[in-house]
Amino acid sequence: MNIKKMNKGLDFLCTKYGAKKGEITLKDGHCFVGATPLLPQRVERKIVELLKMTENGTLEGVSTLRFASFAPKGADVQALLARELDVAAYLGKAKVVRVMAVANGPAINALVKLANDVNCSVEISAGLPRGQAAYDRHEIICARGVGSDQTIDTHTPHASIRVSGAKGMEEYTDVDTELFGMTYEEVWNVRAAFALLQNPKLGAEWKKAYAAANKAAASCFAADKAKRAKTL
Amino acid sequence: MKPVKIAMMGMTHGHTRKYYQTLLENKKLDWVASCAQDEEAKKVYEIYKTGVPCYLDPDQMYADHPDIEAVVIASANDRHYEQMKWCAEKGIHILSMKIPSFDMEEYDRMIELVDQAGIVCQIELEMHYNPVVKRLKKLIDEGAIGKVKAVQATNITLSPVWAFPWQGDPKASFGKVVPLKKGDPRFRGGALCDHPHIFDLIRHLTGSSFDYIYAEVAPNLRKELKVEDMLMAVGKLKDGTAFLFDPSWSRLEERLKVPGPGWERFPKRMEVNVTITGEKGMLSCDCFGPNVYHNGAPNDRYTVQYTYFDEWVGLIDEFVDCIRNHKTPLINLKWHKETIHAMLGCYESLETGKIARI
Repeated sequence: MNIKKMNKGLDFLCTKYGAKKGEITLKDGHCFVGATPLLPQRVERKIVELLKMTENGTLEGVSTLRFASFAPKGADVQALLARELDVAAYLGKAKVVRVMAVANGPAINALVKLANDVNCSVEISAGLPRGQAAYDRHEIICARGVGSDQTIDTHTPHASIRVSGAKGMEEYTDVDTELFGMTYEEVWNVRAAFALLQNPKLGAEWKKAYAAANKAAASCFAADKAKRAKTL
Repeated sequence: MKPVKIAMMGMTHGHTRKYYQTLLENKKLDWVASCAQDEEAKKVYEIYKTGVPCYLDPDQMYADHPDIEAVVIASANDRHYEQMKWCAEKGIHILSMKIPSFDMEEYDRMIELVDQAGIVCQIELEMHYNPVVKRLKKLIDEGAIGKVKAVQATNITLSPVWAFPWQGDPKASFGKVVPLKKGDPRFRGGALCDHPHIFDLIRHLTGSSFDYIYAEVAPNLRKELKVEDMLMAVGKLKDGTAFLFDPSWSRLEERLKVPGPGWERFPKRMEVNVTITGEKGMLSCDCFGPNVYHNGAPNDRYTVQYTYFDEWVGLIDEFVDCIRNHKTPLINLKWHKETIHAMLGCYESLETGKIARI
């Protein structure tokens, strides 16, 4: 992530919309504004749309969440898992109360229970070749309807543009005109920082959620070692 | 080679109709008779107009066709033992549906019956004859992603219970009525019993065996069912491979009495997808694709229509080869036993809240 470029984008948004100014900093690979950890997944458009579906009656009676997140070799598996567990709590609208997981090398498979009895499976792998784009998948399975951020009947993510040119196959997925040119990860971190600066009350909520997700992720690794489910 | 005289029994299993074309077209076979469980099953069988006579009494079928050499047992799980016994006593080779029995004492008696009769008993795990699975196995064996570290596999479908009610009946599906866990109104016998493939596939791909398994059941999508329809499992193989399985009925369906167009409500009826992390890379795999798409009849909504590979062709070829050349099928009762143990391990884990050692 290019923090300088991201802060320029954040400054642009804050000036344009009259929000309080702030600065993004990077600590241990995670973005913060002041002492508040950013939760970009909570402003990421596809996650927001999935959440809306569970709130507006499009989907009813959530039973199971199925998530996956794949990143290049060397990525922080525990951080990837914590992110997905936060999405689970956010979309499932309940705390993670029990976790079981199996880890091996760059991969961990977790099976978690939310306080409202919803199941969530999380498949994490840092097994992609270096340089390859990370991707993820979120599916909500309900008594009425299934929602997903991936196309049905494909196991590869959709790209907005594919260019077959001199450089071979290139893909582009731009999601934000105001922040045009930033990577997907940069865009949602800037948007998260902007959301926080617009609504400082989010700070307390995000700090709590970040701590809970990290605790749940650590418990997954502990459950793998102990070969038994951990209750949180 | 002399064609094998073959018959079908039961005709209540969800896979029954998938055999019709293969049994009629394969020149190594002579499909001589069928025997339905009851009038209802016979009525459904007759819709397909196979031209093969259908009986209601197996002894009458055998009296009229004493040259039957092999039978496809296409019935509810709790009928398998008696039908296998019937076949073994007559020296008739058996093609069994995917769950011979969940009662391991009964399962061992099945092995004895087959061994004593000296007959072929092949278990129907058709994914072994799927070209994508064949490529997947080849890639793994050739080291395309290095040693396998983790596997995630889905075997998710719509629920067949409205067309095949025994699959929602704990006794007929699981063999006996066993509550899922204390305080849970549901019983064993649902989606898990319908989806052994991924439990088998991981053994086939890795050459390893199950160490332990842990499962969690989720709220049912279909509140009317007495059995589970949503569950997932994680665990490890003895070589350390970590796995995550989803064998749920997570795709909703129209409640048709006879499967046909428009059965699916989710655009896709079924999926067996696998992602594998290896020491050197990753692999993702859709065992049933690519497909075609439409929004036409009968419901005018977006639908994924399969371009089936027809795994039943290879499955029947192996069965005939084993009969004529006195071979043991790859998926025989003894091989399959560990897969059944792993599935039972899921139920045990649901009951205890702990891992189940396999």
